[in-house]
Amino acid sequence: MTAAKPTTGVRSRLVRVAAVSHRHFLVLRRSPHRFFDITVLPFVDSLLFGSLGTFIAREGGSGRTTAAYLLAGIVLWHILYQAQIAVSTGFLDEISSRNLLSMMVTPIREAEYLAGLALVGLAKLVLAVAGVSAAAFLLYAFDVTTLGVGLVPIAAVLVVAGWALGLFVIGLVLRFGAGAEAFAWGIMFLIMPLSGVFYSRQSLPAFLQPVSAALPTTHAFAAGRSLLSDDAFPWHDFRLAAITTALLAALAVAFVVRAFTVFLRRGHITRHM
Amino acid sequence: MVPVLVARGLVKSYRRRRIVDRVDLAVEPGERVAVLGPNGAGKTTTLLMCLGVVRPDAGTVAIAGHHLPRERAAARARVGFAAGYLPMPDRIRVREYLAVYGRLHGLDDVGERATAALRRFGIEHLASAMAAELSSGQKTLVGIVKATLHEPPLLVLDEPTASLDPDVANRVRAGLTDLCGPGRAALLLTSHNTTEVERLADRVVFLSDGRVVANDAPARVAAQFGGKDLEDVFLRLAGSPVGTER
Repeated sequence: MTAAKPTTGVRSRLVRVAAVSHRHFLVLRRSPHRFFDITVLPFVDSLLFGSLGTFIAREGGSGRTTAAYLLAGIVLWHILYQAQIAVSTGFLDEISSRNLLSMMVTPIREAEYLAGLALVGLAKLVLAVAGVSAAAFLLYAFDVTTLGVGLVPIAAVLVVAGWALGLFVIGLVLRFGAGAEAFAWGIMFLIMPLSGVFYSRQSLPAFLQPVSAALPTTHAFAAGRSLLSDDAFPWHDFRLAAITTALLAALAVAFVVRAFTVFLRRGHITRHM
Repeated sequence: MVPVLVARGLVKSYRRRRIVDRVDLAVEPGERVAVLGPNGAGKTTTLLMCLGVVRPDAGTVAIAGHHLPRERAAARARVGFAAGYLPMPDRIRVREYLAVYGRLHGLDDVGERATAALRRFGIEHLASAMAAELSSGQKTLVGIVKATLHEPPLLVLDEPTASLDPDVANRVRAGLTDLCGPGRAALLLTSHNTTEVERLADRVVFLSDGRVVANDAPARVAAQFGGKDLEDVFLRLAGSPVGTER
């Protein structure tokens, strides 16, 4: 028996965050099927939307603009998608491997655990976005860097929005059990058309436009598209995206905290033992 | 000395059925306590409340003086937990798994500790094995090694030998005897194996229908209920014929 190590302090916290990331990196390294999301899917998306854009351009005579719009959209989409899916599937892996109880009986705090997942997500995101950007460049000569440094803050907003959506999925799994895992992928199929990844929200049916306007991702994608056509940074769209993302993140935190409280009170850990 | 575990007045109900009913549980440093009782008696729920992963409807829990849930990180730094039903996650080697949990407990010398802990339970040869290569018994052993890695003052084990063959179960008991006792870690375990409880525990807390019906040394509990041993008491309190479960 030895004295317990201190659980407070920045170093202790960082070590625990790194331990969670390390665990998920080990799993990722030995799970070839998990590379589908960060290698094959980005490539397929580039191929699909690049070819679609090229076809429309040829038929409609819109030059390279359509392909560029679609490819810029898919690059931005992967930033959101990868951020969300890494957090969601990381937690789902804890559930499917029945490791949640063991993890909960360690000094790790909930925020540290989520930070560990988010860190793994960032690494996957960099790989996937590099892949989708490389495919867009090699196959369609679309250089994502032409969007300029303005892409960085917009990407940051999308990453935070992705994490927030991931938190909603975790909250749903805590509340409803592993059966809610369908939301990990399903939520993105809902978000994609409503966010106007490839078009303005005015293109949506009128009754859906207010829903679209309420989503931070809509404004982030609009800002991203503006980078293609405008010289000036789209401050208005970016401000809206940042504010609504902050609201979404606050809602997601409140939701997951509430779901975790119910999880503890109802003894739902027994579902995962 | 501060008790390593103090749980007072624990109550838990699910769907209006009271699973745990005003349970008090205290474990002194170095003490070995077994929670015994038939299926559905509330043993695991009590343990999970003591670990802070199930919130009691009423009652309080403190581990080494740290109150749950407010001081949960400090409390959990002082407890190790393993269960026979908890598998080791796939796609990870034993030493990697131990390294992850060692770091979660803030250990710097995790490699040396892991080697020593694996040796204590006679499984140092499994250090490089992948989880998928291990038998369920070996996984249970690795789980116990993980729980002891940071040498906590309180070790909580739920049915630790349930899936083990007699030889491995003996090795686990020997390892636990080595680890837990006066001047060393305290042990809180649940088991259906009354012989094991008699060999390992200084004290037995017998639960029936969510209530503590006995709390004393194994021999005294047997005497209290007029049984010749704990198994006899178990069968009387469980109220079931041999071999059936409630």
